[in-house]
Amino acid sequence: MGLIFLMILGLVLWLPGLGHTADVIRVGNAGAFTGDAAAPCMEIYNSSQIAIDEWNAKGGIKGMKIEHPMGDDAMDPAQAVNVAQKFCADNLMLGVIGPPMSHTAQATLKIYSGCDLVNITTAASKPDLTEQGFKNFFRVNARNDAHGWNCALFITRNLKAKKIAVLNEKVAYCENIASETIKGLKKLGVKDSDIMQDTIVAGAKDFSPVLTKVKAFNPDILFFVATTAPDQAIGVRQAKELGIKAKFFGTEGARDKKDFIEASEGAAEGAYVYHFAPDVFVIPAAKNYIQKFEAKYGSISGFGPPAYEAANILLAAMDKAAKANKLNRKEVLANVAKTKNFKGILGFPVTFDQKGDLAGGATYFFQVAGKDFKQLAVMTGK
Amino acid sequence: MDIYLQQLPQQLVNGLTLGGVYALIAIGYTMVYGILSMLNFAHGEVYMIGGFAGWWVLHLLSRGNVPIINASLIISLMIIIAMAVTGLLGMGIERFAYRPLRKAPRMNLLLSALGVSIFLQNLVLNYQGAKARFFLVSSLIPESIRVFHIGNVVFSLMRILVIVVAFLLMALLTVLIKKTKVGKAMRATAQDTEAATFMGIDVDRIIVLVFLIGSALGGAAGTLVGLMFTQVDYYVGFQAGLKGFTAAVLGGIGNIFGAMIGGIILGLVESLATTFFPATYKDVVAFVILILVLIFRPWGLMGEKIPEKV
Repeated sequence: MGLIFLMILGLVLWLPGLGHTADVIRVGNAGAFTGDAAAPCMEIYNSSQIAIDEWNAKGGIKGMKIEHPMGDDAMDPAQAVNVAQKFCADNLMLGVIGPPMSHTAQATLKIYSGCDLVNITTAASKPDLTEQGFKNFFRVNARNDAHGWNCALFITRNLKAKKIAVLNEKVAYCENIASETIKGLKKLGVKDSDIMQDTIVAGAKDFSPVLTKVKAFNPDILFFVATTAPDQAIGVRQAKELGIKAKFFGTEGARDKKDFIEASEGAAEGAYVYHFAPDVFVIPAAKNYIQKFEAKYGSISGFGPPAYEAANILLAAMDKAAKANKLNRKEVLANVAKTKNFKGILGFPVTFDQKGDLAGGATYFFQVAGKDFKQLAVMTGK
Repeated sequence: MDIYLQQLPQQLVNGLTLGGVYALIAIGYTMVYGILSMLNFAHGEVYMIGGFAGWWVLHLLSRGNVPIINASLIISLMIIIAMAVTGLLGMGIERFAYRPLRKAPRMNLLLSALGVSIFLQNLVLNYQGAKARFFLVSSLIPESIRVFHIGNVVFSLMRILVIVVAFLLMALLTVLIKKTKVGKAMRATAQDTEAATFMGIDVDRIIVLVFLIGSALGGAAGTLVGLMFTQVDYYVGFQAGLKGFTAAVLGGIGNIFGAMIGGIILGLVESLATTFFPATYKDVVAFVILILVLIFRPWGLMGEKIPEKV
């Protein structure tokens, strides 16, 4: 009885697949579309959607319409693996944007690589991801070791800080940024005794005990390495409430007007954040994208532009493969790897190096002024 | 050593506030356990919905982040409406998820509770979205009186409010249980449901009342935490529920006074542990203490040693 039921179920699931001819192709989008990081991930999704809409309006890839299915992993590596397996099993899937987080990207590297599906991440910055020999993984953002070193430079040179407290969340991305920054600080001559490191738990909503510890240490700078903007907003708020005099320095996730500046109700004034993407509003090439995004989805925080860029790089590679009548995963992958001086909206030409990393990446530094972020400096490792 | 001593007063304040919140949540667990001998795993979600209810009151009574009525009135309304919403929710959960299963094995009730928890969490996720909601409190309480210092210790008005309201609610509950007829009926039902029925106590009504009170206290905790930590999202119930449950067990599950003590101790242990260990270890320290207590006093700190019924 159970067997018959299973067979019928299998048939029902299989039948819709029969109707498919190859008049559509798919670009997957893997990310945490639910949970605390839903906002940046939706921004990534919507930005690649704009690129896909533009290509579809031009007639798609060789007449084929491009679909853009969403694979939600809720920041959970186990669910990310399910998404990867689903995407791999889809024969019409030719490339994937994401996963945007280091730990979900790490969990899925082997699976995507096993089915030759190209990944272009727009935010995962753990260096190790491109050091394991997987040929299908690319990123349009700089690596953590580049960011960590640049942050150390910014803290010592621009902010002239002598005593630094580093609080990090216990996830791959945050631990890595924290350790690379501390490594950089030591290299730049900061003494061990002038660096304090401790941890926070994401989503705990109360960081007062660990911040009380920071207060006793009395640093010049509090480097708060958390993934999401709501956590950073609580950090900056409770630090101020406790009377911590150190300047607050947040990470990429904090570059969010609503969830960081507005949510902290003035406590974030003067706080610094770093980001892998420049202020796109000053880049002329990005004007069209910004108009479309704001008209349809609201304000941009900085996670969107690299996703628009990544989608365009991927679609260009697919277009090239289609024109050569070789529209398959391997060919798309080879074309993405050959990306050189791609002039998009990020303000610098994108070239991938041997490992799939962004050649000549940079870290941008901002300060909260009123209701917005003001770009202060760009560090390029020197 | 000096660097530790200097933190202690502040950590006591941090721990007391956190503990007050844990205590309010723990009471809900312990009251239900006392009467039905079941763990109401949906209680964390009730707390979360209390937070959302409070946020909506604040949101609807503000125009562009500025409250349209008196601030203390808004805060009172937030707490009262959150308690009303979660009290009704608790009654609903009892009526539809637990009452039909009351004669069933305990395991079924536990599964039903887990189901309600997942259902409520996803319901809120669906209708409120995944993004955190922010309690914009700066216009509610001006900066000048929101934070003040006594010596080296920083007090925030919200934290004091949380401690005061938490203890006030706990005191009211204690009076209700110890001094009133209803309270006597509740104690009787907890002791022996069948005997209570023979004495003419309407056990069904007592159970409904227990869910109403326990859930309302959880809802109050949700709104208080929202006001203090300024955020609520669909996932906050999980951690809060876990901590509330731990506090209830620590104090001796089924014992209301124990839940209060357990909550305060758990909050204090967490913040004091952060002083001496890396912050990641605060939960390790808290649970090691729980395990030690359970080894030497399996019935919890305040719980009574009940001989097994044969």
